[in-house]
Amino acid sequence: MASILGEHLSKARMGDLMSLDHLMQVPGALAAFQYSDKGDLTQHVIREGTELTPQVLDLLAHTCVANVAIATMEARGWEALTGQQGFEPVQGFSLVGLDWSAVVGGNCGVVLRNRDVDYEAAFAALSQCKA
Amino acid sequence: MRIISQLMAIPGVIAAGEYAFRGDRYSYEGHLTPESARMASILCRSNTLSINMQTEIFGSFSEDCGCKPAQGWIVRGRAITVCVIGNIFCFLQNKEGLLNDVMTVMRAKVGDIEGDMMKYMYAKIGGDVNEKLY
Repeated sequence: MASILGEHLSKARMGDLMSLDHLMQVPGALAAFQYSDKGDLTQHVIREGTELTPQVLDLLAHTCVANVAIATMEARGWEALTGQQGFEPVQGFSLVGLDWSAVVGGNCGVVLRNRDVDYEAAFAALSQCKA
Repeated sequence: MRIISQLMAIPGVIAAGEYAFRGDRYSYEGHLTPESARMASILCRSNTLSINMQTEIFGSFSEDCGCKPAQGWIVRGRAITVCVIGNIFCFLQNKEGLLNDVMTVMRAKVGDIEGDMMKYMYAKIGGDVNEKLY
């Protein structure tokens, strides 16, 4: 029983890491991460030599969960007030910083160097991410 | 040409506008009613201030976090994307290649891309950029 459970867990973890590996293939990727619905960091990969830390990624994940929630509220309100459709459901969010951008969707995120950033590739990769 | 007009010249851009960080002045072009544009300006200014506050907090965790000052944000909807850089906002359709083009123009005009924007765009193709351009 324990070995079956262990095998199941290792497969799940393997899937998570494969998703993160996939995200790290996006041009300019500095880090990839997964987070819970509350924004707690569950998995992460950080490219060597970057200033990013797990602590910053955890804060980033919380920030992005909050921003997606706000964006969803605004999108719903906007559609109701203006009649303009096409905003909901919110599929992703990006915070554009000075040197890097964090792009999140679902429960996954990737941090991209702005010099090489490809937002569309990031959103496409995030839509494949299984968290 | 003003950046708003430049953005509106890109096929797939629905509307673009500029808002003041203080006060209620705004201007826009595209498919928004004046009242919608006013609301969009308030919404975008509010979110941008919030993002700025958030990156300030990141800075307290890591001195050289690479995120300060915040340049802007993007919300990707089902069929429409809203992006903001500085005090410029843009509503665009989710068409292939459009978001990257719009962001490049916006970052070059009001964001962090320095120098020649064409060089920056061509640099992504690789090879000798100067040879290709000049």
